[in-house]
Amino acid sequence: MNSLLYDPAFWSRLQFGFTLTYHYLFPQLTMGLAWFLVYWKWRALRTGEEKYNEAARFWAKIFGLNFAVGVVTGIPMEFQFGTNWADFSRFAGGVIGQTLAMEGMFAFFLESAFIGALIWGEKRLGPRNHFLAAVAVALGSWLSGYFILVTNAFMQHPVGYLIAPDGSLGISSISAYLLNPWAFVQFIHNQTAAVVTGSFVITALGAFYTLRGIHPTAARLYLRAGTIVGLIASLLVAFPTGDEQAKMVGNHQPVTLAAMEGKFVGGPMAGVAMIGQPNIQEQRLDNPIEIPGALSFLAYGTLQSYVHGLDEYPQDSWPDAIELLYYSFHLMITLGTIFILIMIYANFERWRGRLDSNRGLLWVLMLAFPFPYIANTLGWMTTELGRQPWSIYGLFRTRDGYSKVVSNGDTIFTLIGFTGLYFVLGLLFLYLVGREIAHGPHEEVATSLGKEASL
Amino acid sequence: MIETWYGIVSFMLIAYVVLDGRNFGAGMLHWLVARTPEERRQVVAAIGPLWSWHEVWLVGFGGTLLAVFPRLMASAFAGYYLALFLILWCLLLRGMALEVGGHINDRLWQGFWDFVFVVSSFLLAILFGAAAGNLARGVPLDAHGNFSMAFFTDFKVRGNVGLLDWYTVSIAIFTVVILAAHGATYLMLKTEGPVRDRSESYAKWLWTATGPLLVIVSVQTWFIRSDLIRHGIQNLVSWVGMIVVIVSAFALAIGLRNRQEMRAFVGSNFLIVGLLATGAATIFPVMLYSTLAPENSLTAYAVASNKSGLVIATIWWPVAFILAASYFVIISRQYTGKVSVRRDTQGYY
Repeated sequence: MNSLLYDPAFWSRLQFGFTLTYHYLFPQLTMGLAWFLVYWKWRALRTGEEKYNEAARFWAKIFGLNFAVGVVTGIPMEFQFGTNWADFSRFAGGVIGQTLAMEGMFAFFLESAFIGALIWGEKRLGPRNHFLAAVAVALGSWLSGYFILVTNAFMQHPVGYLIAPDGSLGISSISAYLLNPWAFVQFIHNQTAAVVTGSFVITALGAFYTLRGIHPTAARLYLRAGTIVGLIASLLVAFPTGDEQAKMVGNHQPVTLAAMEGKFVGGPMAGVAMIGQPNIQEQRLDNPIEIPGALSFLAYGTLQSYVHGLDEYPQDSWPDAIELLYYSFHLMITLGTIFILIMIYANFERWRGRLDSNRGLLWVLMLAFPFPYIANTLGWMTTELGRQPWSIYGLFRTRDGYSKVVSNGDTIFTLIGFTGLYFVLGLLFLYLVGREIAHGPHEEVATSLGKEASL
Repeated sequence: MIETWYGIVSFMLIAYVVLDGRNFGAGMLHWLVARTPEERRQVVAAIGPLWSWHEVWLVGFGGTLLAVFPRLMASAFAGYYLALFLILWCLLLRGMALEVGGHINDRLWQGFWDFVFVVSSFLLAILFGAAAGNLARGVPLDAHGNFSMAFFTDFKVRGNVGLLDWYTVSIAIFTVVILAAHGATYLMLKTEGPVRDRSESYAKWLWTATGPLLVIVSVQTWFIRSDLIRHGIQNLVSWVGMIVVIVSAFALAIGLRNRQEMRAFVGSNFLIVGLLATGAATIFPVMLYSTLAPENSLTAYAVASNKSGLVIATIWWPVAFILAASYFVIISRQYTGKVSVRRDTQGYY
């Protein structure tokens, strides 16, 4: 009975992790697309060129589908704090509930009020108000991200809290809580990563239309916007935001950094492993190929800096899935580097005026779009696995937080339910997005019923 | 302070029920008031662009409950585990039905999503109704403030109760009828032609049924929790709520008879607000009553988070509420009047 599969905390973690990972596939694209929409609406307002309106209209539909799936998969996230993590909520609800409530009240109301106007209201609103609706939706979606990241940052690096006489957490300083330095770095890192996803998706569609030889005006617009923004965002994700994020982990959670890098033994001149498989039994990295001193330099500024190893910490404070954490972190960095290289090459070709004709590159750009989703997911896995065994770093252990009254039978049932429902939802989403893509960005005046009425 | 927050949290839940309740009602009547595919698009367009705005009230309620009454959220949500996930899944299916049903002009596609819309709306009304019944009847809370509840045990209302028993099923049926009536009143306001006329006859019929049903569930409540009725009589807010119910019922009746759709709809909204406010005031300060031993019950004072958090929330919440209300005013001005399927279609092309 002591197997992991009988552990209620395991099943609640699996369900939370699965539903959260799935959910975040959708908001990352809406956050990534939001400012593209604002930009195109603004260009349309300034120049009056129809191609910008067409682009905004088309991507607003993709945005709308993502938003709908994001809404329906997002509500279970908030509720699971109560259903599956009751003891965690008892302890920390007074703090993290504040930002979850703010997200609903400040951000989600804004976004959901104007999303309908953005997608269907163009004729009724007129160009200027329609542009403002796009701004409201973009602000709402980014604000929503900020409140969620403040919540997460508190769990990574708790600040501005107090412990009440009954042992639960309260807020001592709301400004310290909302302006957590961890949240600031994480927000920029996460949002630029979302923009990477957005720009790779836009670029991929531009490449697809170009390779097919259809919708040339739209394709050129997408390729241009996608590759320029994609290059800037890919660079920003790595430096300074990713760099700062890793430094923060090194300073506040040295044991996490050691696990991320597979550093079983501490020391100066610590290297970054390019290749290597963590071997927990033997406490070493198998088949390592390392860049010597790189980790010391990246984390603490000099080649001689001392990097802590896992051996300096008791085993019960190690993250409990070191292998997964190590691979998540390394694959994220590998993918991030590849994104930069692809985008540098694409921009070079665009500068030479060969972006439309370099078919090899277009194939790469078309097929590359899933990888930013993977990289974003790996980044969140690094964040969440790295914080283990804590729910709130140093304050509250994950395994103390699950709902004691919920049986494994209940959790496994709902996990199966989510798996089935989300599988169908995913098929539906892909089918509908595929239909929009096949239809293309050209305006068709008749609506589905309008067509019927005109027959 | 705690009383204020009890009021705000109740207000958010009531706002959600009144706003999304019309959508549940329209969903339950979808097949009855709309017979042709075009008529069915009309119903969906009447709900159309604002359903996610309505659902945000539930999100806002959940977050606020966690911030202000964390121990209540922990006990109640973990205890209602399966029922709550059924609600979440139905909300998910309902949302998808509304969003994607109009995307493809195909009989099978639309017929399928209409089916999903109707079934999930019914289940939501039943589940929310049963949950309300559970709040009045109580749940088997132990001395540590925990409970875990099966869907049904022996259908009795005392001791080791289940989610469903004769009392909570009665409340669920009452909820189905009153929300269907509310939805019909909304569809009268927003639609034209045959859909409007059918909605009108359903509204009259369903609101007429609501009266006797209200008497029945009140008697049932007196039977299982006579302390609640005594408590309600002494509570000023309960009286205000009951007066709102009576005034709204008159407005509704006059509106329905004189074909004043707006008056009827306003009456319908306030009638439900009045009923729920009466209920919320009557059970206060107990938020979750224990059927095992009254001293195990969770009161608002026992489950509130500490004072600093409440003070902070008191500062930002009114600001957020005013902003949210102003978006609503801006947006709802875009959607006044009857819907036109051509203009308000949710189809993408």
